[in-house]
Amino acid sequence: MKKAALILVLLGSIIVVPVAKAQIKHIEMRVEGMT
Amino acid sequence: MKQHLGRQSGVQKVDVNLLDGKVDVTPKEDGHIDPIQLLKATYDSGVSTAELDVTARGKIMKDSSGSIAFQVEPNQSFTLEANELSKQLEPLAGTATTLTVRGQLYKKPAGKKKPELPRELKLLLLEVQKKE
Repeated sequence: MKKAALILVLLGSIIVVPVAKAQIKHIEMRVEGMT
Repeated sequence: MKQHLGRQSGVQKVDVNLLDGKVDVTPKEDGHIDPIQLLKATYDSGVSTAELDVTARGKIMKDSSGSIAFQVEPNQSFTLEANELSKQLEPLAGTATTLTVRGQLYKKPAGKKKPELPRELKLLLLEVQKKE
């Protein structure tokens, strides 16, 4: 029983919840003088 | 120019369209990208930037001078240019609301062929894509 609980705790600790980070997602530039 | 931009910190991919002069920069998932460095790299490659638009996820805050700013990372924020959208979002300053916005960080001043680059970029909000 103790072993099962320990495994559950271990599993729970490695589940990574994807968090949408605050950051720059995309940059679009318009440039002039490009050959 | 593609190589210049690709070497910048936090840049994952650069797509250049020679026909319409459009450059798409995809940042790394966990990287810190500095738009001023991109402007400098473009300038150094002998090309001038007419416009730089950005899509970013972050929060509205008040900066040290009391101006409304958009914070994309703990150490990266852009003061907002006052417009209708920035006024609407002002009450969200300091709240946990996260926004995904599209805005303009740079536009070349009219009448100048190769203007000096700005030291600080202000974000002109164009669109709020998501509010969480």
